[in-house]
Amino acid sequence: MNHKDVEKKNKGDTRSEGREYLLEIQDLHTYFHTPEGTVKALNGVDLVLKRGHTLSIVGESGCGKTVLAMTILRLIPQPPGRIERGRILFEGTDLLSLDDEGIRAIRGNKISMIFQEPMTSLNPVFTIGSQIEEVIALHQPEAASTRKQARETAVEMLDMVGIPFAEKRIDDYPHQLSGGMRQRVMIAMALACKPSLMIADEPTTALDVTTQAQILSLMADLKEETGTSIILVTHDLGVVAQSCEEVAVMYTGNVVEYAGVEDIFALPLHPYTKGLMRSVPTIDARQKGESLHAIPGNVPMLKDMPGGCTFHNRCEEVMEICRKEFPPVFVLHSGHCVRCWRYAN
Amino acid sequence: MLEVCELTGPLLQIRGVRKVYPLSSGVFRKSAGSITAVDGVTLDIYPNETLGLVGESGCGKTTLSKLVLALEEPSDGCILFDDVDVGHAKGDSLEKLRKGVQVVFQDPFGSLNPRRRVRSIIEEPMIIHREGTKAQRMERVHELLRMVGLHEDMLNRYPHEFSGGQRQRICIARALAVHPKLLICDEPVSALDVSIQAQVINLLVDLQKELELSYLFISHNLSVVGYISHRIAVMYKGRIVELAGSDSLFEGPLHPYTKCLMAAVPEPKPGQSRRFKYVRRNDIPAAGSQSACACSTWCPDAAGECGRETPGLREARPGHFVACHLAD
Repeated sequence: MNHKDVEKKNKGDTRSEGREYLLEIQDLHTYFHTPEGTVKALNGVDLVLKRGHTLSIVGESGCGKTVLAMTILRLIPQPPGRIERGRILFEGTDLLSLDDEGIRAIRGNKISMIFQEPMTSLNPVFTIGSQIEEVIALHQPEAASTRKQARETAVEMLDMVGIPFAEKRIDDYPHQLSGGMRQRVMIAMALACKPSLMIADEPTTALDVTTQAQILSLMADLKEETGTSIILVTHDLGVVAQSCEEVAVMYTGNVVEYAGVEDIFALPLHPYTKGLMRSVPTIDARQKGESLHAIPGNVPMLKDMPGGCTFHNRCEEVMEICRKEFPPVFVLHSGHCVRCWRYAN
Repeated sequence: MLEVCELTGPLLQIRGVRKVYPLSSGVFRKSAGSITAVDGVTLDIYPNETLGLVGESGCGKTTLSKLVLALEEPSDGCILFDDVDVGHAKGDSLEKLRKGVQVVFQDPFGSLNPRRRVRSIIEEPMIIHREGTKAQRMERVHELLRMVGLHEDMLNRYPHEFSGGQRQRICIARALAVHPKLLICDEPVSALDVSIQAQVINLLVDLQKELELSYLFISHNLSVVGYISHRIAVMYKGRIVELAGSDSLFEGPLHPYTKCLMAAVPEPKPGQSRRFKYVRRNDIPAAGSQSACACSTWCPDAAGECGRETPGLREARPGHFVACHLAD
């Protein structure tokens, strides 16, 4: 088998290209040790993110998207969680080698995070202004030497994310704002320290489509202005198509396909990606009277994963080898990576 | 297919329904104005038809479904289901109504009792409506389980042993237990993953063909609604602003709010526009007259009459109704 070589070659490539990447994740494993057994939430993830680019991570619930985001920020509860092995190189530093003090200086400062639920991720007993000021005071004491100065910066941030009457709204409590406005406040907080990487975990899932469009276009504008790279965790393929440069599809703790957004929509390779794309309902399909293509079965429980390729029991293109051996990553033309035996040659 | 339906007459008739919730404030619960959640809605649902209902959160979709289910009483107007007045039904007629209209909720994790087995969850509606003997009911439970694509081995399991999609199938089986004619689906797939969502939508479409059901399909996801519905009603601030066949609506939306909604849906095709299109909406209510069109504060084409009068639904094209002064 030559798959080891392919994997090595793949890694070698990413290293030699070096500085171009803001974030390089190599062979990352995060396990949860529970009384019922070990759950392999991340099982050898390799990813790269270029400066100023947006990377979408797509997958169904339980595929490890959120665990990946949490692992990058070292927010995995330990125990039961444990980052078993791998490297996360951020601007050349391995985040996994940092001590608590070191990671705290990066978290919220150089890497910030936006969570799915704007309702629960703001503290209800503080005004939004004081919550933004706190971030600035913590990470950039020089920008907030006086309260007045911190407040000015906070107003500026709220203004930037398009909250009308920012000087007045800054004294509002989270419950006085609508869902879309709260998510804007979260983005203002995340951008307060001008991070080089912003991780957004399903930032628009709880919002209406019109509000979603506003938030995503705001994120796109801010990316252009500040040059921040974004990791966008989502399950909405429409959002993916419209807002990112690269796409990583995850399934059961692995990246099964990684490619540029145009490549992956034009020619999805992994049977799982193909299935996902075809299960999106469209008005054309109804007019033709087609029934929707559904991927049969369910995402396997992480506790009892099928042997071989973890997708083989739902796969329509399954081969003999898929049942026995876990596929390596195959790198095809133009850096399109896929973890499927179909592409062994 | 609509022509055929019209011959048989509508299954559900909603006529000028309003629902007003009083607001109170202070220690003595002094009345402090009111909120009109549903404001003069008139709709029909025909046998064997899926009517989609779309709109943003807080527009009154769920209140409307509660009115149809007789969980809320309308403040004004009436709802007729199979000649039963839903708002004032009591005793036998209420029971007939409850059997005829069933509901599938959004959250399959919150809508199944975690302490009961699947068998008893599906059987319960039949016990309530005093249907059949124990043996007949069990036979029906087996039949329902097959119908929604679950295995009979699963009868004795508890809800926590199932995934989201399977739970939604159990909810559907429970709703179908008493042979309803109308199924209200309140965001039935929005809590599910994309691939599972497709399974449940296919199931709903197949069941409709097999059992001749009508659906009121509520969702904020336009592509799902567009796929499953024969006709679509767009709701904005308690009113129906556009009502049309799915094809007609997607080919040429007439109301500015519908256009705004459709523009906001991201297309799963990269490189088309690369930008999200949207109309920046100013939702701060204007201080002007109460009777102004709700869209007049942000609609780019708003003219003088929009600020004076709320437009009613009118037939702009055959079968395509819109509530806008300016649409042609």
